[in-house]
Amino acid sequence: MPPTTPANDVDLLRGTLDLLVLKTLSWGPMHGLGVLRSIEQATKDRLQIEEGALYPALHRMEQRGWLDATWGYTEKNRKAKFYRLTPVGRRQLAAEVTRWSRYTEVVGMVLAARGT
Amino acid sequence: MDREPEPGASWPGLRRVFRLPANQRRVHDEVSDELWFHIQERVEELMDKGLSREQAEAEVRKRFGDVTRVAYDLERIDERAVRERGRAERLSAFGREVRHAARMLLRTPAFSVIALITLALGIGATTAIFTVLDAVVLRPLPYPESDRLVSVMHPVSGAGVEAGKWGTSVAGYFYFRRENRTLSDLGVYQTGRVSVAGDGEAERVRAAYVTSSLLTTLRARPAVGRLITPEDDRPGVARVVVLGYDFWARRYGSDPGVVSRMIEVEGRPMQVVGVAAGGLNLPRPGAFASNADLAGFGVDLWFPLRLDPDARAINEHTYTGVGRLKPGVTPEAAERDLAQLTARLPELFPNAYSPSFMREYNFGMSVIPLRDEVLGNNVARALWILFGAVGLVLLIACANVSNLFLVRMEARRHEAAIRAALGAGRGQIATHYLAESLLLALVAGALGLALAQAATRALLAVAPTNIPRLSEVHLGWTAGGFAALISLVAGVAFGLFPLLRGVDTRPLREGSHGLTPSRPQRVVRNGLVISQVALALVLLAAAGLMVRSFARLRDVRPGLDPRGVLVFEVAAPVARYRTYDDVTAFQRQLHARLGALPGVQSVGATTHLPLQGFTGCAVVFVEGRWPLRPGEVPPCVSTPRVTPGFFRTLGIQVRGRAPDWSDIDAGTGAVVVTRALAERLWPGEDAIGKGINSNGGTVSNYYRVVGVVDELRAGGLEKPPTEAVFYPVRALPKTWLWEPARIMTVAVRTNLTRPAALTRAIRRAVTDLEPRVALANVRTMEEVVERSMARASFLMLLLGTAAGMALVLSAVGIYGVISYIVGQRRAEIGIRMALGARVSQVGRLVVLQSLRLAVIGVALGLIGALAGTRALRALLFEVSPTDPVVLVIVSAVLVFLAALASYAPARRAARVDPVEALRAQ
Repeated sequence: MPPTTPANDVDLLRGTLDLLVLKTLSWGPMHGLGVLRSIEQATKDRLQIEEGALYPALHRMEQRGWLDATWGYTEKNRKAKFYRLTPVGRRQLAAEVTRWSRYTEVVGMVLAARGT
Repeated sequence: MDREPEPGASWPGLRRVFRLPANQRRVHDEVSDELWFHIQERVEELMDKGLSREQAEAEVRKRFGDVTRVAYDLERIDERAVRERGRAERLSAFGREVRHAARMLLRTPAFSVIALITLALGIGATTAIFTVLDAVVLRPLPYPESDRLVSVMHPVSGAGVEAGKWGTSVAGYFYFRRENRTLSDLGVYQTGRVSVAGDGEAERVRAAYVTSSLLTTLRARPAVGRLITPEDDRPGVARVVVLGYDFWARRYGSDPGVVSRMIEVEGRPMQVVGVAAGGLNLPRPGAFASNADLAGFGVDLWFPLRLDPDARAINEHTYTGVGRLKPGVTPEAAERDLAQLTARLPELFPNAYSPSFMREYNFGMSVIPLRDEVLGNNVARALWILFGAVGLVLLIACANVSNLFLVRMEARRHEAAIRAALGAGRGQIATHYLAESLLLALVAGALGLALAQAATRALLAVAPTNIPRLSEVHLGWTAGGFAALISLVAGVAFGLFPLLRGVDTRPLREGSHGLTPSRPQRVVRNGLVISQVALALVLLAAAGLMVRSFARLRDVRPGLDPRGVLVFEVAAPVARYRTYDDVTAFQRQLHARLGALPGVQSVGATTHLPLQGFTGCAVVFVEGRWPLRPGEVPPCVSTPRVTPGFFRTLGIQVRGRAPDWSDIDAGTGAVVVTRALAERLWPGEDAIGKGINSNGGTVSNYYRVVGVVDELRAGGLEKPPTEAVFYPVRALPKTWLWEPARIMTVAVRTNLTRPAALTRAIRRAVTDLEPRVALANVRTMEEVVERSMARASFLMLLLGTAAGMALVLSAVGIYGVISYIVGQRRAEIGIRMALGARVSQVGRLVVLQSLRLAVIGVALGLIGALAGTRALRALLFEVSPTDPVVLVIVSAVLVFLAALASYAPARRAARVDPVEALRAQ
């Protein structure tokens, strides 16, 4: 792994990054940069992602069969690698979403609890 | 790669040149492309927002992180994916190939079944014989470092003695043990049978009398307690006994408490000091050991031999010697060493060994690997011959299957051509064929293994019990590996053999209109048939020779009449029967009781039963020829002791008269000699009335010859007529006939169709007379005769089976090829018939074609047989390995078979309708 950022940051991001990528791709096929732009848009640039980390995540998910990749051309007629969610990936997304909401719910419960 | 040049030059890692295999190269390019796109887009994006190129690039680099590192990670991930996908693809390609091969084989069931059965037979037979060969001949003896064990024996030969090997003498053992410089240890043993009683039913068990040094030589270990130590092995100390492992388990239920108890052996109590470890057996006793038929060579009881180092040296060689070579010493070196010691025997022990004895008997020394001694020349030779025979069967089977594959390939030229036209490489087509042949061969191998399992069991059932180490035979990993190996080799061979000419992909040009197959194809096919016939002839000749030899052996008159005779061993306990008189009285009572049983016609007993255990020899002296002339050496001949009734019971014809009980009572010393001995001792004279003994002229008593046995082959049917003197059980005064004959084989002649029905009554009669006497080894004399021919009949049976298989396979081969040729030549035959050829002419054409192949094969086979059957010489009896009768008969059989095999195809050819045949083209 690129040792450019502190390890705990990456760790925090990695599990979440998969979820974000899957979710983004559930709207339709796009290339790596497209995924980034979509996330930036959705978060109104409030989430800073280390761009280099995106690609290993994409390739790993491709290898696991969650994503399909094909080469295609952008509007500017540039060759780019496009990713698409597979049925397996779609199921994975659902599972990740459930886990994430359960996680936030639990964390939220703790944060909302008042000390006695 | 057409990509705009610049500004990527400033992105190290994206344009690196890789010298990697194609797929890895592609991975690298794709990763570069993907990241390149990202960075390019991002830089333009920022430049659109007004940044300069340098600023934009710096910003992108900051956001992205280490590009080289990311590219490297991506390549690792992708390469792994590529590798895994490749493996999965190869696996499924393999599965596809196997499925395809199976489908193709199933589409031609006749071909597949015939090829499968043929191959399975060949592999099964070869594996079965290999299993036996491996266990009996190839595997080392079951002792630690057994390759250093040697047998130590004295070979003898000459006019006065049957050629063979004598054991060592007592004095010789101590002398060799002390003086040799090549053995790290040397021990001797004898074997025999003893009665065990007292703690259960009395029984006769197998006994070994060994020096403690024998056990250290073999590196034997105890399972419980201890083995025989040097302290046990001195004359005069109390007798101790060590139990054999199996005997311990059987009789004492593996109770360790039996150690230090007393058991009763031969009527005398003995202390058990230990149990030998499981599987400890003795090597086969030498030819002159006391009892040659220790079935399986298992030992039930081990006794110390207690030899006396100070005893007077006598020329008695009854101890089998086993030595352990010092590291690095060869048997030849040890033999030279011990031969030098042997040559000095006359000077060390002048009373026992005279220089003339050494010379006349060619008394020497032989040190050979113990395994070779155990096996004997002929067993190893016979098994190798059998292995060769089934190897030939396998070759014939392979030739058959090769031929089938050739035909099959011929038939599939279209398919191959179409595949080639569709872009399949020669390699791919070859792979298809290889997959089919391998699949077929491996299935045949599995079938063959199952066959071998059954065959091995059948083999063990019919095998003579006197083949050593047979108990060690079982189908194991070695056999499995062997079967797998030959199937693999065969599979590859069949797959590649038809491809020798290259994959034939021409037919689209050539079409199917050729009248005859291509010439090389025909040559190969005919060559296969010819070699099959040749191989079959060699096998048939070998089997024929064995059959003829066996027939000769059967024709030999052993000089006795085994019909209706039951024999068994009886041992009188030494504690009660000490003298000649005791033993004689015991036998006389026994004879009376057995003679009174219903159905019994006569009873007799002997220390040596003809055709089994007629071993050992003693010198004989003639009355009136004493003292011996200087340098004269008396002959050494068989000297069994028999009771009156022996000759009548075994149906041995005696000229003159046989002794009766009144001779015993009166002490007339009446004896019978065989004609072979009489002719040696008194050439041209009548032996009857002559005097003879085994003690020499210093005593005055001679036995008187009252009868001559005309013909007797007691040592074995293949041996020359026996030279023997039959002494009485009761020795004359002033003569000595060894220890009183306590152990004798009793023979009972009955008028029953099943003499064995008497067994129970006999056992009761014996026990009534003497409860401590155990009966052993009850069998009919006919069984004894059969068994003496067992090895010959076993070899004949197996060679015959192999030859039969060869015959059938060759017939199938000839039939297949001739049928095929007829099919191929339909058009030609049609033309011939259209031009007026008669039906009989066409039929003759086909049969002649087959005969031509057969005759060439027979001619080649005869050459092979003349060269090959020489290996059989030592196993044949009165038949030359090049016996013309056998060779002529088997040649005729094969030619006839070829004619027969082509008969059906010939008829089919004769029925060809010219019009139809030509239209089919």
